[in-house]
Amino acid sequence: MLPAATDYYRLLPEILAAVFGTIVMLLEPFLRREHKAALSWLGMLGAAAALGAAVLVRSDAGPAFFHLIQADPFTFFLRLLIYATALLVMLAARAYLDRENLPHGEFYALVLLGSVGMGVMAAAAELVTVFIGLEISSLSTYILASYRREALRANESALKYFLLGSFATAFFLFGVALVYGATGTARLEQVAEGVASVLLLKLGLALVFIGLAFKVASAPFHVWTPDVYEGAPAPVTALLSTAPKAAAFAVLLRIAGTVLPATLLWFWVLWGSAALTMFVGNLAALVQSNVKRMLAYSSIAHAGYILVALAAGTEAAYAAALYYLAAYALMKLGAFTLVAHLAGRGERRLTLEDYAGLARREPVVAATLSLYLLSLLGLPLTAGFLGKFYVFVAGLRAELLGLVVLAAVNTLLGAYYYLRVILYMYFREPDPTYEHAAREPVPAGTGLVLAATAAGTLLLGIFPGHLMRIAELAAASFR
Amino acid sequence: MLLLEHLWILLALPLAGAAANGLFGRHWSKRTVDAVAVGASGLAFAAALELWREFAQLTAAELPWVRSYFSWIVAGEFRADFALQVDQLTLVMVLVVTGVSWLIHIYSTGYMAGDAGYARFFAYLNLFLFFMLLLVMAANYPLLFVGWEGVGLSSYLLIGFWFLRKSAADAGKKAFIVNRIGDFGFLLGIFLLYWTFSAADFRSVFAAVRQMPVETEAGVLTAIGLLLLAGAVGKSAQLPLYVWLPDAMEGPTPVSALIHAATMVTAGVYVVARSAVIFVHAPLAQDAVAVIGCLTAVYAATIGLVQTDIKRVLAYSTISQLGYMFLACGVGAFAAGIFHLMTHAFFKALLFLAAGSVIHALGGEQDIRRMGGLRRKIPWTYGTMLVATLAIAGAPLFSGFFSKDAILFAAYASGQQLLWGLGTLGAVLTAFYMFRLIFLVFHGQPRFDEQAVHVHESPRVMTVPLVVLAVLSVVGGWLAAPKLWGGADLLERFLTPVLEAPAWLAAFPAEELHALELRLSGAAVLAAALGFLAAWWLYLQQPEKPAMLAARYAAPYRLLWNKYYVDELYAAAVVRPLLWLSERVLWQKVDVAVIDGAANGAAHTARRLGDQLRRMQSGNARSYAAWVIVGAAIVTAALVWWVQ
Amino acid sequence: MVEQFTFYFFAALAVISAVLVVTVRNAVYSAVFLITTLLATAGIFLQLRAEFLFVVQIILYVGGIMVLFVFVVMLVDLDVALRQVQFNRQKWVALLVVLAVAGQLVFALALGSEALGLPAAAPESLEPNTESVGLRLFESYMLPFEIASILLLVAMIGAVLLGKRQKPPRSEA
Repeated sequence: MLPAATDYYRLLPEILAAVFGTIVMLLEPFLRREHKAALSWLGMLGAAAALGAAVLVRSDAGPAFFHLIQADPFTFFLRLLIYATALLVMLAARAYLDRENLPHGEFYALVLLGSVGMGVMAAAAELVTVFIGLEISSLSTYILASYRREALRANESALKYFLLGSFATAFFLFGVALVYGATGTARLEQVAEGVASVLLLKLGLALVFIGLAFKVASAPFHVWTPDVYEGAPAPVTALLSTAPKAAAFAVLLRIAGTVLPATLLWFWVLWGSAALTMFVGNLAALVQSNVKRMLAYSSIAHAGYILVALAAGTEAAYAAALYYLAAYALMKLGAFTLVAHLAGRGERRLTLEDYAGLARREPVVAATLSLYLLSLLGLPLTAGFLGKFYVFVAGLRAELLGLVVLAAVNTLLGAYYYLRVILYMYFREPDPTYEHAAREPVPAGTGLVLAATAAGTLLLGIFPGHLMRIAELAAASFR
Repeated sequence: MLLLEHLWILLALPLAGAAANGLFGRHWSKRTVDAVAVGASGLAFAAALELWREFAQLTAAELPWVRSYFSWIVAGEFRADFALQVDQLTLVMVLVVTGVSWLIHIYSTGYMAGDAGYARFFAYLNLFLFFMLLLVMAANYPLLFVGWEGVGLSSYLLIGFWFLRKSAADAGKKAFIVNRIGDFGFLLGIFLLYWTFSAADFRSVFAAVRQMPVETEAGVLTAIGLLLLAGAVGKSAQLPLYVWLPDAMEGPTPVSALIHAATMVTAGVYVVARSAVIFVHAPLAQDAVAVIGCLTAVYAATIGLVQTDIKRVLAYSTISQLGYMFLACGVGAFAAGIFHLMTHAFFKALLFLAAGSVIHALGGEQDIRRMGGLRRKIPWTYGTMLVATLAIAGAPLFSGFFSKDAILFAAYASGQQLLWGLGTLGAVLTAFYMFRLIFLVFHGQPRFDEQAVHVHESPRVMTVPLVVLAVLSVVGGWLAAPKLWGGADLLERFLTPVLEAPAWLAAFPAEELHALELRLSGAAVLAAALGFLAAWWLYLQQPEKPAMLAARYAAPYRLLWNKYYVDELYAAAVVRPLLWLSERVLWQKVDVAVIDGAANGAAHTARRLGDQLRRMQSGNARSYAAWVIVGAAIVTAALVWWVQ
Repeated sequence: MVEQFTFYFFAALAVISAVLVVTVRNAVYSAVFLITTLLATAGIFLQLRAEFLFVVQIILYVGGIMVLFVFVVMLVDLDVALRQVQFNRQKWVALLVVLAVAGQLVFALALGSEALGLPAAAPESLEPNTESVGLRLFESYMLPFEIASILLLVAMIGAVLLGKRQKPPRSEA
């Protein structure tokens, strides 16, 4: 019993990403110092190849590797999201790495190999495979978070991330063991036949949930997020807040979608966690004066909205959650990339004061950031509005009136702090004693990322139909 | 039939203007910016006129005329197209919005001349026009909501336009956030609507509602009505969400004229009128509209009595007049509400523009205690503002007379005599504070330094729009003039296909109706005269009296002067607790003290690696871990013991 | 009976040593107790007839990783660690919460395994499992086994990246 060619074919995107990641590492020592930045092309080529492979494999849905992997429309959607994110992060990171004088090769390799882990998580239909994917993704993000080695704050937060992350993974692993003990299998399809009232299965699923809740930063397992997002290099924060989160949500979605006992058991926990996450994220963001940290809390709040869709638990709700993940990834990628650019060398300029009067100095940059913020806030004609709209409609369809009202109250709270940044950019002049940074032109790669994410935010806001159809197809995979 | 087929042209014109000025305006001369901005809004007005001409050729069966351009939101069976619609109500709104907006664009080329952000200003103004047109032309609730939020956003940008004043930026933010509270209700209303009818476009929703019985007890339609009302209350600055509008006067005066008087704030009235079918089927919600409107009308008028900032007096007057429009809708006379919306757009825009001209003439002075005797120095401004005041006060044959009369008549005839009484009281107050304003600004002795301030009439580009609006403020009401001799209100008849006449109207025989009409008109004229005489006596004959009265009745005066302390109340009850929770509890207790240990800033001082390791050991990561464990305990307990 | 006794012996040994790992002040003692914990776990594996895991546990953890640990401990300045505060003021709260979680787990496991109604397999009937582990790993679980190499690659890159000396700033290059 050996894997056939189709097995490898259905895992082609991950294989390509892994191959390119390895090639990047193999080439790195042979390049001269000033040429190492060119590795970004190779890295991006790898992500693009994985994207292409994902599209190619799309037509050939089915299980692979003895049902450990499931290549279906759901996997396709997440592969698109993960590899596109990786591509954009690498595109934006090149100028950043140059500016901060950080090594290039390892960065691209880690992003690529990390996305292999996330891709495996998205495709896995079996818990041990999920675990390996989770570990690969986590380990590479731990290292990326500590990438600025000379920055103490970054180091400290990365260490915390590592310790707590391992802690949460232990919960996950123990949960997997218990699920296996209760059902005699770790394959989700077979776990689905388990009986929800069996105590061991309950306990196992509870621990699995805890492990994943940590990765998606939902309250009360969110505590690491503000520190780590603030301390990590901004392009890494852009990655952290999008792709690994999407992958962890993918696992949550797949379990909730296929394993009936989990769907039943998790409902109230999802409900409570969603409510708590939204409130904690939004309320704590109200008084932040550090924009990066504020955006970190905003990420927490957004995870809450996605959990609302998970709690709703219908096919439409899963489609809404997927749509939300994509919309959210676009705006967060854009916002953090811009923050990275504006922060300047050593990431020193991160407070609201640094943004005062930005609209006058750099109108296009300010307008772009405003677009992301308005989208995060949920203004119509942006992707963020439709994400919330779909989630709320799905929530109401599932008769979750209370939770939807709480979510709507939260969008109200969000208006306050997103608007504050816009207020500073447009309606404040910096203190006369403020030392302006020398105006730096937006590097080409960063500009491209900004253009792509801004255009995406608008396009998804005005023409959401196409993506929504893909999301609906993806959500239908669990039928 | 060019425009009927391509309704989007009407939207594209101002959007193109906004994009052009926003992107390239900085590099253009003032003349080019003018041409683009005024051209875009002028063309929009011309297009509206052409639309009117084409519309006249449609048959009743073809209405409402809906054109769908692409499908916007599709989720399962939910569907909302990017679809525009034209019917009588839309047409009236489009004409008023584009017409008034065009005049204000022209005026602004004079008023804003020399401002550093000239092109930016016009870009925002055109953007606003785009969203406003989207709002009134949308054929379904979600698209209407886009326009709704869009006007809020442009209003935010325009209020904060003079951002060097801190108050301006804060006012912009306040406007946006208070509006979000209303929008939250509005959005829930749309969801509930969709939930109930599985559709969100006007045609299907209203058809479905017509099949439903009138809800005598609170039901789903009542809930929808009240939620939509919440949104309308926010946007149209009614009790209790009116607090943002007076502060919004921090924006440039043409903005106040266009957005905070003539157009955007009437969006709430428009939505209520648009959803007339829903409100008619939910009498409880409709009564709420009437009561809120009537209370606001009187409440805001009382605050207006003692304000001393020329624009704030007008702001409270706007709130009060919007209250009248709500009152009209609440008693079923939706057409009367739209009628008042139209005449109010004319005279209130005029009042603001004239006030802008006064401020301009005095070099930025806004306090009416430091004005006076301007009558001869700026005669055009004085003349036109007097016309507007007569119109708003309800002097016979001026536009406000007809429209306000129609509302008070409807209130009385629908059997709500109490509301009529309050409305008439409001009319007395209106006449009083408006003439107080006129007398203090234009009559009496100058109370400013005549040497320091060179008073000058505004340039022609500013006075011509004033005159045009003055003419409209007079003749705008004559659409209803036939009523005086027993005829029909022309606008009302035009709007009948969309806004059915109120049910109680049928109960009256024609001649009795006419007699009642004349009697109530007499009462309204008396009310206006009373207010005028009081103002004349207090501010022209006995100018020392007001101060004496204020001193004698210090407590009520202070209450009014401080606007019933509502701002303070909201700050104490809502804003501060939230910030306290965020800062003191979540940030200082949870985030800094518990999670981060005491040493949040210590990363900067921890220079050596050893220090850092110690910090790791002294609690930070452990506190995080403790939180994770707490969460784990709760989740396991919930899943293992509580569920099932 | 003997089975029960050996199991509880190893289990108690593992738990007590684990507690001592985090409570003793001297890092070398900590390392020794960690070895004890790992050996006790290996003992349980052996008792379960999982001889492959038993061997792996000893070779990998005790033989490889622990030696590394002890080396590091010897290189690090131990005096600093001795002077540090071991627990902060939250220890009682933390203890309470940990006990809550642990209590729940133990209780649920005790109840759960009975409810599961698994037949008590006679220990003698279990086959030597080295072959079956091997077969599983190279057949149906081949994928996790293979991609674990990527995990190792990532870990290696990370170790090299974090461990190597900082490059000089570009201006000097």
